[in-house]
Amino acid sequence: VRIRAAVSAALASAGILLAGWQSGAHVAETGNTAATSAAASSGTASGSSSGTGGSNIYGPSGSTGSSGTAGSTGAAAQAGTFAGTAVPTRFGTVQVQITVQAGAITDVTALQLTDNDRKSVQISNRAAPLLRAAVIKAQSAQVQTISGATVTSAAYLTSLQGALDAANR
Amino acid sequence: MNSSRPLASAATPSRPPAARFRRQTRSRLLRADLLTVIAWASVSSAVALWLADGGAAGFATPAGSFTALGIVAGLAGMDLVLLMLLLVARTPLIDGAVGHDRALEFHRKLGKPSLYLLLAHGILVAIGYGMAEGLDPVSELVALWDLVPDMWLAIVSIGLFIAVVVTSVVTVRRRLPYEFWYAVHLLTYAAVLTAIPHQFSVGGLFAEGTWQRWYWLAICIATGAALAHYRVLEPAVATARHRLTVSRVVTEAPGVVSVEMTGRHLDELAGNGGRFFIWRFLAPGSWWHPHPFSLSAEPVLFDSSGRGRLRITVRNLGRGSAQLARLRPGTRVAIEGPYGLFSTAARSRDRVVMIGAGIGITPIRALLERTPFEPGKATVLLRGHSEADLYLRDEILELCRRRGATLFHLTGPRTAGEHSWLPEAAVHSGHRLASYAPDIAGSDVYVCGPDAWARSVITAARAAGARDEQLHYERFDW
Repeated sequence: VRIRAAVSAALASAGILLAGWQSGAHVAETGNTAATSAAASSGTASGSSSGTGGSNIYGPSGSTGSSGTAGSTGAAAQAGTFAGTAVPTRFGTVQVQITVQAGAITDVTALQLTDNDRKSVQISNRAAPLLRAAVIKAQSAQVQTISGATVTSAAYLTSLQGALDAANR
Repeated sequence: MNSSRPLASAATPSRPPAARFRRQTRSRLLRADLLTVIAWASVSSAVALWLADGGAAGFATPAGSFTALGIVAGLAGMDLVLLMLLLVARTPLIDGAVGHDRALEFHRKLGKPSLYLLLAHGILVAIGYGMAEGLDPVSELVALWDLVPDMWLAIVSIGLFIAVVVTSVVTVRRRLPYEFWYAVHLLTYAAVLTAIPHQFSVGGLFAEGTWQRWYWLAICIATGAALAHYRVLEPAVATARHRLTVSRVVTEAPGVVSVEMTGRHLDELAGNGGRFFIWRFLAPGSWWHPHPFSLSAEPVLFDSSGRGRLRITVRNLGRGSAQLARLRPGTRVAIEGPYGLFSTAARSRDRVVMIGAGIGITPIRALLERTPFEPGKATVLLRGHSEADLYLRDEILELCRRRGATLFHLTGPRTAGEHSWLPEAAVHSGHRLASYAPDIAGSDVYVCGPDAWARSVITAARAAGARDEQLHYERFDW
């Protein structure tokens, strides 16, 4: 009786694990493409924050410059695109690229966003357009982080600061 | 002293259906096996959820490997915690298949593994996340507490889990008061509840819109519902329905009292002689103290309306039991139960041997009253230091006479040195279990008494050829 239970339990467990592993192999393929497309699309997303429904408490924070140098694109900034530093986080690496024209940030493209898992992709998709809009409005990395996307926001703004530094060099 | 009184007389010719018992046992063992399979399958399902999400891809990097292992440990650990809760939920499905004490035994066995898995989860994820960010695990934990919503709750939760398991182990070893242990165990609910938010808000596996989220929600809610239903709702309904009140407290022997209670709809509790209830006597100073005691007689019905009387027989063992002797008639009684497999539901053969010692005689008395057997196919062995310790012996003698069971009184001091369940005199005369019950290999064996004594009986029964499904032994603990 004990043996019957043990054998059936082992077989059932093995079957379940195998099924999980099989379907996992599919997800791994589609998941990778989904993550890359998410990163790409978030770059081209419109600047408006409508539709995402998230708590959009963004805007220039003004005070307490967290990075001492080059809070904004000065007149010295060169035109062109500048990639920021790649910032590793526990949910994936974040890297942004800015487009500067006539000394102003005209676009922010996310090259990589937190995408370690589906939840992170979801959060990235929500946060990226909000952050992009906030940065373009503030013309600096001094914007508030998006609530519920603290880690992604912090990495996004750190990478952005790297890009600004490169533009001002 | 070793006096034996074989008695036999024909009465109650109700035919015991041997085939029914065989079928009943087959189905019970099948259910027990199924539950085992379901339990293991639930653990592997938890891991499969993660595999199905492509989690194995995490092993591509060292940091990802730590995180992946941590997530697997967390999933398996939480699954074990849910299993532990189900095992103590007193669901009829589990209780009827393996019995209350075996369920608790499994519950205890899972305590440490689940704690280790949860600890591994916390440590491995902190290392994995830390490596991804270039932080040491401790700073990573601090950052998680600060930055990621619900993570501080999760960190509090693991602290609570550690507290619960450590105090449980210490309580068992040092025999801390039951009340202390109980209070600490209530913390388990806090530990589980604080662990849940981060699983859904931080865990990528259970993000909105995934089927994994639904599965995990379903098992969490099902476990909570089972606890609420069987541990809160059903006892409340039973208490309100039966409206038990103490009618009489009778002294059976020095330090041993029978508490008689009257109530309504007691016909519904018939056939539960030998099973136990958890009793709370709703008097000042004792209402919060739960007592697990078996019925010492089948419910007695006054008339066809279902009004009747229940009885428990209790020895003064602890502070709580001492108060029972002073119970006043009219005291309201709250009940939970009946629980356990010390009943006809566990029968597997048409012959039955019932062996009780000390206060453990009382459930034997209740079982003897109703469990089916043909005259001559039942044996009752009562063990005590002296005749005076064989509680309810007159009632048992009368029942044996009426139903045609063989009764032996085994009295006298125990053996010095190696512990035997028999009195010294019987051992010296060369008596063994088979001397009293020659058909033990073909009988159900019900044993109730102190732990070490009962183990000795079980060993003797096994040696005489009884198989596991024939041995019925219930311990009295929580």
